[in-house]
Amino acid sequence: MEYFQDLNKLGSLLSEMLSGTLVNIEVWAFTLLFALPLGLLICQMRLSKNKVLIGISKIYIFYFRGTPLMLQLLFMFFGVPLIIGVTFSRELAAILAFILNYAAYFAEIYRGGIQSIPKGQYEAAHVLGLSNRVTFTKIILPQVVKRILPPMGNETITLVKDTALVYAIAMSDLLKEAKIAVLREVSIMPFIIAAVFFLVMTGLLTKLLAYMERKFAYYR
Amino acid sequence: MLKATDIKKNFGKLEVLKGVDLEVNKGDVIAIIGPSGSGKSTFLRCVNLLESVDGGSLEIDGEYLFREEGGKLHFAEPAKKRALRKRLGMVFQDFNLFPHLSVMQNLMLAPMQEENANKGAIEANCRELLRKVGLSSKEKSYPCELSGGQQQRVAIARALALNPEILCFDEPTSALDPELTGEVLAVMKKLASEHMTMVVVTHEMGFAGEVANEVLFMDDGIVVEQGTPAEVLRNPKQQRTRDFMSKLLTV
Repeated sequence: MEYFQDLNKLGSLLSEMLSGTLVNIEVWAFTLLFALPLGLLICQMRLSKNKVLIGISKIYIFYFRGTPLMLQLLFMFFGVPLIIGVTFSRELAAILAFILNYAAYFAEIYRGGIQSIPKGQYEAAHVLGLSNRVTFTKIILPQVVKRILPPMGNETITLVKDTALVYAIAMSDLLKEAKIAVLREVSIMPFIIAAVFFLVMTGLLTKLLAYMERKFAYYR
Repeated sequence: MLKATDIKKNFGKLEVLKGVDLEVNKGDVIAIIGPSGSGKSTFLRCVNLLESVDGGSLEIDGEYLFREEGGKLHFAEPAKKRALRKRLGMVFQDFNLFPHLSVMQNLMLAPMQEENANKGAIEANCRELLRKVGLSSKEKSYPCELSGGQQQRVAIARALALNPEILCFDEPTSALDPELTGEVLAVMKKLASEHMTMVVVTHEMGFAGEVANEVLFMDDGIVVEQGTPAEVLRNPKQQRTRDFMSKLLTV
């Protein structure tokens, strides 16, 4: 309760936690920016007719979906430099690990979406003489986006919370700032504030996703 | 105009088409009838290159899309195949409209991909086609807002937007409630009266009898009987055709 009596103290705590939050937002945004297209690329490989590409994509998805994200993160920061002799900054290691991990999930969500489009859509495009490129970009992809919004929404919300894992490679994110403050102040208030911050982020995201679903509700 | 010779198609070990011939001349309206599983839809799909064929030849205006020589199939090169393919239009049983596009966008999408596409001219042409199928007021509607009959009429307009020489219909009224088939058949009759060349796979014997100038009866992967509607529908020579017709009458 002492926070409410000492507004300066509360202000400095909030600003620490806000700067931690920016780290989470940064990892979240860069992951989405790169994992969304990378996932589509892996999905295209998975759905191609080339056995080598299919094999690579299957191994990729098997590895990144089948091992803990925490392990991948630690490996990216501590393991990869030992192998290739280049050290990544904490931020870069974290963002790379998240991109590679989430692209695997996104690839499978895209695949589910693409495979759920009825064969008749491809046949109609074929008899209208549309090229493969036009068929994909103008017929298939727009319908896929609508269908995958709910599962993608799940993933983007999970990603907000997963960004707290960067704590494992000592990045000063919201969770780490909260824990430092808890130990320093001997108060659980910073944990409560951290929870509220996460809820605000996921709450805003939920709103945004609901808005996007409404945007696509003009057709069935 | 179109000549299909000895078209063969297998699904695994099952021979669906055992060598089917079809010749379409300008202005023909050809109805293909027959029981379910007779291969009539598969044949039309083969002609539209929606199924891979296992034998036979297909030519449009004397140019080959594929031909069988010495037991091997030779296909036209992709660019030529696409160009020839575009002379055929196709209307499906379940419409296959693009649900995320408005009626007008459904019609305009394919013509707009052509080289030197003139948006104004295409738009005017598509409006005219919508008027022809009686859906002028539905330009901005989405397929989900239309009845089945209206959707099928949009699909017909969409196929016409590419100016096909031959329009193919694969059971165009089979997915429709009985009270909606009439409006689709009326549009098809109108096209026939304007001398549109059409190949129609159908269960609508009334339509076949009234509009077609030639009827093919298919069963078990072959053309059993072929002739004018009067011959095939009212006075069939083959026993299998007679059996089929009598079954229809008793139902």
